[in-house]
Amino acid sequence: MTRYSISQDTRLSADVIKHAKQAQRKKIVINILSSMVTFIIYIVITIVFVTPFIYLLGNSFRVNSQSIWGNLFPVSWKSFIPYDGVTLKNYIQALGLDVVSRGFGMNMSRALWISLASATCVIISSLIFNTCAAYFFARLKFPRKNILLVYVLATMMIPQQVVIVPLFLVVRSLGIINTFWALVIPWYSSPFIVFLLTQYFATLPYELDEAAIMDGANLLQILYLIVVPNSLPGLLTVSLLEFQFIWNEFYWPLVAVTNRELQPVQVHIAAQFTERDPQWGRVFSAMVLASAPIILIFMMAQKYFFQSTAISGIKG
Amino acid sequence: MKITQAIKRVDSPTQLRWWQKYRNRNLVIAFLFVFPALLNFLLFRYLPIFWAARTSFYRYSFFKGFEGFVGLDHYIKIFTNDPEFINSLKVTLIFALTKVPIQVVLALALAVFAVRNIPGMGAMRAIIFIPVVTSFIVVSIVWGMMLNKDVGLVNAILQTVGLPRMEFLSSKANALPSIIMISIWKDVGYSVIVLVAAMKGISEVYYEVAMVLGANAWQQFVNVTIPMLRRALMFVIVIGTLGAFQVFIPIYQLTRGGPRDTTNVIVYYIYKKAFQFGEMDYAAALSIVLLAIMLIFSLIQMRLMRSEDVD
Repeated sequence: MTRYSISQDTRLSADVIKHAKQAQRKKIVINILSSMVTFIIYIVITIVFVTPFIYLLGNSFRVNSQSIWGNLFPVSWKSFIPYDGVTLKNYIQALGLDVVSRGFGMNMSRALWISLASATCVIISSLIFNTCAAYFFARLKFPRKNILLVYVLATMMIPQQVVIVPLFLVVRSLGIINTFWALVIPWYSSPFIVFLLTQYFATLPYELDEAAIMDGANLLQILYLIVVPNSLPGLLTVSLLEFQFIWNEFYWPLVAVTNRELQPVQVHIAAQFTERDPQWGRVFSAMVLASAPIILIFMMAQKYFFQSTAISGIKG
Repeated sequence: MKITQAIKRVDSPTQLRWWQKYRNRNLVIAFLFVFPALLNFLLFRYLPIFWAARTSFYRYSFFKGFEGFVGLDHYIKIFTNDPEFINSLKVTLIFALTKVPIQVVLALALAVFAVRNIPGMGAMRAIIFIPVVTSFIVVSIVWGMMLNKDVGLVNAILQTVGLPRMEFLSSKANALPSIIMISIWKDVGYSVIVLVAAMKGISEVYYEVAMVLGANAWQQFVNVTIPMLRRALMFVIVIGTLGAFQVFIPIYQLTRGGPRDTTNVIVYYIYKKAFQFGEMDYAAALSIVLLAIMLIFSLIQMRLMRSEDVD
């Protein structure tokens, strides 16, 4: 109807249509410009944040580690992509799978196994003990519970890298320095995760617990029949956080374990540089092996990583 | 049946041991849930500090154990007769005071960009966050190679575009800035995600009001976004500062404190004293001093945060 009336009123329509068209054209131009700017920023971000990984991945497949340096200048795609052939030799040597590479002292398969085993132990113990503690703080009655909560939260103020030397003295007196357990036992529970899970459990409706109590469930049954099944996303998040923490931890395993057989991945890679001239092809593939698991897990479970970051930021 | 038994127990408490009383037994059971975690924090978070404080008053070594009380000698030496400590404190402060502001400003800019919901933005956020989940050792080694003077990618790029080659990690002037750059590259994604999450929490209403009042994009940013982000910004600054005081991995991997102690940050200095020279007692005293400094720092920052909340 309105359209008709405008086009019928010819005096008005010419002006209006002209202005509308101009505005539309302007809008289109602005849109194109802004999406071009956005696209350029996309490219810049990608170059800045991804180039090192491409460089790392490409060089880990090169046949001859000399060609890493040979193709650097002038910079072209050849600096990144192993154009003269792809090999898995570096990976096989880094993992210590063939006879020759045993002599080099690099054994990523052992290091990966140590990292995986310690991460698994920490995740399992963390799921048990942190969940129980968070359940205590979120649900159970106890006199002066607030004091205990302060006791837990205050530990978050203690900077971890600063107390490594003191922690070393304590763990040494427990007699587990230079054993596998030194990588696990100090971290079997974490104040940050107790705090995170307490927050999470507090959002579950208490009516569920009451119903279970009516049915005669005891505390442990409430925990694993009501609370745990209803907070699987939260538990997954903390497992991912623990995995990331243990997998990337460097300073503590560096000092806690001097035995080469027990070195986790990060320490094992760093150790390649304290010895003779490192074999770059092997080191590159070892670094891919050390960072690929955590990056792949992040890609698959982005949502949970972002959520935990956002929660820690908002709760502060 | 159960209830009558329970009532009987409550009625005749004298016949029962303390833990058999209904209420007490419940308390004990409740406490068992939290006990393992509390024990962990006692043993591995609190005890180390007391242990270090004790060690710092003695002469102590791995092989001979405790050998005599020296009182405050270690602390006196730290503050009066240890130029390396003073230098490391200075380096750490420069590192923190340069890295944190740059990182926060950069994160803010990236967050303003990354908060929009347009195609491809999810991938961008993921790309920015990948360095955060990657281990700092791998990041350090890769950047160390790329910044190498003779065979590094960055210098190859510089030469390709016609600029002279530069020394990064091996030069006195550029080593610390290079470490700062690498650390920002690694950590900025974390701040971005925190700020994006906080920005998404800002109600659209504020922007609508600002638009009605005729505010342009920059005015909206200054007058709406920044004030609403205050808590998240404070968090990012506090976490960033605490992290900057503890920087260790890139120094250990790339410069070992050199060249000429220009990157000898305090945590690396403590590491060197403790695990390379075996001066555990002195390293314990240094740890206590650093702990005190950081505690004062975070108390000041928390006070600032609280006073801003009152406004």
